[in-house]
Amino acid sequence: MTRDTILEVRNLSTTFTRAGRALPAVRDVSFTLGRGEVLGLVGESGSGKSVTLRSILGLSRHYGTVSGEVIWKGRDIAPLSERALRTVRGREIAMIFQEPMSSLNPLLTVGLQLTEVLKAHTALNRTERRKRAIEMLDHVGIPSAAARLDDYPHQFSGGMRQRVMIAIALAARPQLLLADEPTTALDVTIQAQILDLILGLAREYDMGVLLVTHDLGVVAQTCDRVAVMYGGRIVEEAPVTSLLSDPRHPYTMGLMRSVPEGVAPRTPLYSVPGTPPALDALPAGCAFAPRCPSASATCTATDPGLNRLAPGRTVACHHPVHMAKGDAA
Amino acid sequence: MSAPVLEIRDLHLAFPLGRSLADLIARRPGRAVRALNGIDLDLRRGETLGIVGESGCGKSTLARAIVRLYRPSAGTVSFNGKDVFAAENRRDRTYNRRVQMMFQDPYSSLNPRMSCGQILTEALRVHKMRPATEIPARVAELLDLVRLPQDAAGKLPHEFSGGQRQRIAIARALAVEPEVLIADELVSALDVSVQAQVVNLLLELQERLGLTILFVAHDLRLVRHVSNRVAVIYLGRIVEIGDSESLFSAPLHPYSQALLSAAPSLDPADRGRGARLEGELPSPLNIPSGCPFHLRCPRATDICRETRPLLRPVAARGEVACHHAEEIALNG
Repeated sequence: MTRDTILEVRNLSTTFTRAGRALPAVRDVSFTLGRGEVLGLVGESGSGKSVTLRSILGLSRHYGTVSGEVIWKGRDIAPLSERALRTVRGREIAMIFQEPMSSLNPLLTVGLQLTEVLKAHTALNRTERRKRAIEMLDHVGIPSAAARLDDYPHQFSGGMRQRVMIAIALAARPQLLLADEPTTALDVTIQAQILDLILGLAREYDMGVLLVTHDLGVVAQTCDRVAVMYGGRIVEEAPVTSLLSDPRHPYTMGLMRSVPEGVAPRTPLYSVPGTPPALDALPAGCAFAPRCPSASATCTATDPGLNRLAPGRTVACHHPVHMAKGDAA
Repeated sequence: MSAPVLEIRDLHLAFPLGRSLADLIARRPGRAVRALNGIDLDLRRGETLGIVGESGCGKSTLARAIVRLYRPSAGTVSFNGKDVFAAENRRDRTYNRRVQMMFQDPYSSLNPRMSCGQILTEALRVHKMRPATEIPARVAELLDLVRLPQDAAGKLPHEFSGGQRQRIAIARALAVEPEVLIADELVSALDVSVQAQVVNLLLELQERLGLTILFVAHDLRLVRHVSNRVAVIYLGRIVEIGDSESLFSAPLHPYSQALLSAAPSLDPADRGRGARLEGELPSPLNIPSGCPFHLRCPRATDICRETRPLLRPVAARGEVACHHAEEIALNG
């Protein structure tokens, strides 16, 4: 499990302002990612997982205030100018989104969008670029790739579009892929194909993947490690097997128990009471306290902060869950 | 087994695309998206029937056709024995009242400029459920029923959370005292923790009010949890239907098997297990001959390419439309 760290995020905070009110979307988030490692960022809507991802590549700073460090291969890329960042974006770190239709340009052919990346980030000449573009489309499983180079995004199905986006993202052979809910809009059958594809390519290129998802099944099937986010903070981090078999944060526990699996059919499901907090009204102390079954006076007064439980395992909770193995889910 | 509330027989629905220039030159008729291709289905009183399938398989079209949002090209939908598309019944509003639909996206199904109270009042008025003087009390009752606070009546849809908006949608459906609820991806857009709250509410109300539910969703775990029976749809046809537990634990149609095994398991030890389905759903513009699934099926043989299998009872485990179902039931 010892991999060299390629990405280290330290004390990342991103705050937006709306109608004069501060919306702290990401609050003091720190984590590391090893070469070739797949780290899942899990949480519900508004937990800050997507903003974390976007802040890494400097996509949030135009809309809000970002602080903290993003150490990429030993260098802090957070303060870099747009121009300097361009040598990192797309070339070393690539990103894919949930909605391929809104990330692909509908007016340009898929081939042009692929070769554009290669033109910007590689020294390949025109013929080589075209060749690589065909190779990439072929690699992501698009049938008769050469013939489809001149097709427009609308001529592809949803799953095929997602493949095109992955081909574009990986064309320059990046060392890190930031994937924001890449399969959420797809059917389970296509989701399985796309996840296999991402994992296969990650292994082949020894590429790290930071995967944002809300689906614990996807996490179980793809990630090496997982960080659970709530109210803009990481509340628990652990290797995937430990997290799923032995969750320590009551929120992680609640998330897992809400999944209808191993529950007698048509009986009430466990549900976390209440709703996630609004960003402009985050409670003092632990953000989860108002919904937490084991909250005490300490929880509403002081934020617990991340505590190390074991190597690779941290939890931000005053009263971490201790559960006998086997009664998860 | 109780009598069916809804009987659907050989339902077909095609969306014509209009003739393209190429069609005109070739003197062909225009093409059509064949969304439903002969659905036979009974909805039994008091049950929850789950409908699953990939996007584009026709599951939402079926739901919408049942509530008469679309008119089928052929076939019948009978409610308590009466054909709801027959000329004399087409304007029958009691059917609209007794079979209520709830949608996935509350932003487009709730009027953003009407308060929650007005939304419920409108439903009560249109169907003349209560005299005007009793309406406010009934609105209060409905809010209670779906566990929304009383002050919700004065608020607009955007002031609620996603889960609360779906509660309003449920309250509106229940306002007119229906027998059947059609839930089309009712909780799909909600976070898991909130999803559970809404599903629990739905099951509890079903019990209390004796409702029959058609539950359309792509989340297989959720469908398994809420349904008594489940139908798997592929390209506008039912390929397998049966008791929820037996269908999920031992599906017989190769498509059901592939679909169920594609759902990511919560156990990391299951990685790499489960057969992957090759390819994608063929276009409903151009449905393959023979068994519509044969192009993607690992078991396809000559008969599958030539003859379309009919839905038939197999090994007392439900009905399956596959030439090889008996063999699968025997040998797995």
